[in-house]
This record gives sequence, C-alpha cells and structure tokens, in this order.
Amino acid sequence: MLLLTAFTLITLDYRSGGGGPFRTIGNAVFGPFERAANAVVHPIGSFFSSLGHLSSYKSDNKKLKAENQQLLERLRLTDADRAHLAAAEKLLNLAGRAQFRIVAAHVIAYGSSLGFESTAEIDVGSRDGVQRNQTVIDGDGLVGKTISVGPTTSTILLGNDPDFTAGARLAGSSQQIGHVDGAGRNDPMTFTLLGTRSTMRPGDRLVTFASIGDRPFVPEVPIGRISSVQPTAGQLFSIGVVAPYVDYSSVDIVGVVVDVPRVPKRDSLLPPSPTPSPSSSPSTSPSVSPSESQSPTPTPTGTP
Amino acid sequence: MRRGLLTVAIVMTALLVQAVIINRLGLPGGWPDLPLLVVVGFALVLGPTYGVILGFCTGLAADVLPPADHTLGRLALAFAVVGYLAGLVEDVEERSVLTTVGVVALASGAAVIVFAGVGGLVGDNRITATAVGHSLAATVIYDVVLAPFVVPLIASAVRRTEPAA
Repeated sequence: MLLLTAFTLITLDYRSGGGGPFRTIGNAVFGPFERAANAVVHPIGSFFSSLGHLSSYKSDNKKLKAENQQLLERLRLTDADRAHLAAAEKLLNLAGRAQFRIVAAHVIAYGSSLGFESTAEIDVGSRDGVQRNQTVIDGDGLVGKTISVGPTTSTILLGNDPDFTAGARLAGSSQQIGHVDGAGRNDPMTFTLLGTRSTMRPGDRLVTFASIGDRPFVPEVPIGRISSVQPTAGQLFSIGVVAPYVDYSSVDIVGVVVDVPRVPKRDSLLPPSPTPSPSSSPSTSPSVSPSESQSPTPTPTGTP
Repeated sequence: MRRGLLTVAIVMTALLVQAVIINRLGLPGGWPDLPLLVVVGFALVLGPTYGVILGFCTGLAADVLPPADHTLGRLALAFAVVGYLAGLVEDVEERSVLTTVGVVALASGAAVIVFAGVGGLVGDNRITATAVGHSLAATVIYDVVLAPFVVPLIASAVRRTEPAA
C-alpha cells in the first residue's frame, strides 16, 4: 500500500515538473520550522564551522595556552561574528558596484538527500519580493538561483549541483561565450566554451552572461577562474575546469537580485587577477574601465 | 499515544538537525543521515510493520522538507524499504553492537540504492555512477560511525514508553 502511494507520488510530482504545488506547500509548512530551528542552533553551527578553520588559529593558540577552554570558545565565536560582518559588507559592496537591487538573506538549512543534491534554504520569500528563477549572489560572486519560493523562505540551487547550468562569458572579450555546469560536490564545475575559434587559458575569468529578461541570471556576476583546460581535439567546443570564487559548501550571507536598474560595466565586478598569471590577457581592475577601441598593451613584469 | 508523540518529536528533531546542522558541517565526502538512523532505531525495536510505516512517513517528510529538490516520494520509498529491512531483525534476542552496525550499514546502502534507482528511472541527471559511489561510501561510513550513539538511545527511549499492560 505505502509503496504504491510512494510510486503514485513520484508519478504525480514527476508529471507536474519542477516546482510543483507540493514544493510550495512544503516551503510554506516546513519553512517556518527551519527558520525557528536555525535561530536556535545558528550560534552552535557557527561554532562548528569555525572548528574547520582550526589550523589558522594554531599560532594564536600557542599564545593562549594559559587561557582556559571557555575563553577559547568565546574567541572562536567572536571570529565567526567578525567573518559574518565581513561577508555582509562584501555582499553590499558587490551589489553596490553593480547597482543590483538585492534582498539580503541568511542560509538557514542545507539540502542533501543522501548527498545527491546541493541546495540551500534561505530566510526570505515572496513576502520580501523574491520570485522563482532569480540570481543569488554573495560577496564573492555567483551562488545560484532560486528554484522554489514560499511566503517567508525559499530554496536555492547552488552552483555545484549537477542540475545547475548558467550562461557564461570569458572576461575581457565580448564573443567568447559558453555555459558553466555544476557537477556535484565531488567533481569540479566545468565551463564549455562554444565555437572553434574561441580559446581559453588557465587563469581566464568567467562572468555570467545575461539570460533573457535577466531571469534566471543577471549579467556580469563573477563566477570563477579557469584552472585547467581539457583537451577536446576536433570538437566544436572546448571544456575548462572552473575554480569558483564562491565556496558552495559554506555560503552563509547571500543576496537575491530582484532588480537590475542598469547593466553594469563589462568586467567591472571581477576581483583583481591573482598573482601575475603567465597569460598576458589584459586584467581589468575595477577602477579601470575597459574600452573596446583601445587595446591595452600588457606591460612586461618580472624578470625576462 | 505517548509513543506516537515521542516518535513524531524524534523524527521532526532528526529532520531539522539534519538540514540545519549536519548538512552544513562541511564534512569531507558527505554526511551521516540522521533520519535514516532514527528509522532503523525504531524498526529494530518495534518490528517491520511499524518500521515500514515510520520509514514511509519520515521519508515523505524528508521529501517535502524545503531544500530538497527531487521527485516527491523517492525518500519515502527508500526509507520504507529501510524500515522493513531493519524490522526483520527485531526478534534477534540480545543483539550485539556488531549486528546493529551491520543492519545500519545494510540499511544505508539500501536507501542510497533505492533512492538512486528510482532517480535513474525518472531521469534525474544528478544520478551518475560516480555520484552514487560517493554517496554510498559516505552515507554508509558516516552512518556506521554514528550508529552506536544514536540507535541505542532511541531503543531505550522507545522501551521506556512501553505500554505498561
């Protein structure tokens, strides 16, 4: 009997496609519970997550050897708070530069379903103006998109979920486009560059390519860097492995982009290129506006 | 009555703890599945019928609990199977810890395989050979590690509410 019911549910939900009525009901019914539970355990959660950074405290630890355990715990909590503040500041900074209108949110729960899914629940919903299929960012770049929205909570699909796909563009060029795909928690994100005449190199940076009507993705949100390029001889596309700017396993403070008053300047949101990369691609720092007519000549740095 | 309330409370707590704490721990590879351990714990004491019903209800709740994004009913089916399998071992007198651990390992494996199998049938592109392998290894190992703490706790809680005839 129960097995039959399970199969019926599977069929019904499968037929109704993604974001069926059950999901909305689920969001409405369970969302408040998760909000409440998160309010209680969030300090505990931040304590545990700060444990992950223990190694960086080691040097501090030596000085604090005389201090007792209670003091040490308090120190970790304060550190978590400080990290919180920094994350929020970074998010507002990015949204401000882009002139995105965002609804800021906390991640209150993570999905797993036996480890197959990479989704998260945030504490804003339709009452805050969030809708289905909107871009979610944090201070570092693209986090994901909303896939189901309840009154006070909504579910987001994170960038490393295998179901996640976003149009992307290589920074510094106009025509080098393709798509970024999540591949699960244990495999890296990939970028498929379309066109035989397009090339990419490790170190190249990726930003989102606007979707039609900016849903689900608004343009120019930083995604990550190409860390290596896979050989695909004789194909109409090439594939690169992406090192995302956002750590999907520990997103905490995010913003849902609800409006884009003006399209931001090309490549203006990217973080500055890390360490002089071997590629001489013009790295556009946020303060310098790249113009199409003038081709910046790379200044040779380092020893010849 | 008391047992019913206890069951609902424990299952809801397990589901919320799973979503709010365990899933954000960032453990390497994957996570333990607390609701699954709860189902196993109850089924080991109360038998296959109770196990299958509780498994179904717990799985359905986990299917609906927000960040989940898969076809409804898949976890319900997987956990119902788990509840039934674990319930079969009910009669074994004086179970050793090793039996419990074995049942948990088997149940975790079965849950992943049923969940992934039905997922494959309905064309879920999250189900790939590597994903199944990772999930299988992580879920089984973490569940086995957590089992000696969770399962006896639930068993003793259930026995305490034994209807005093």
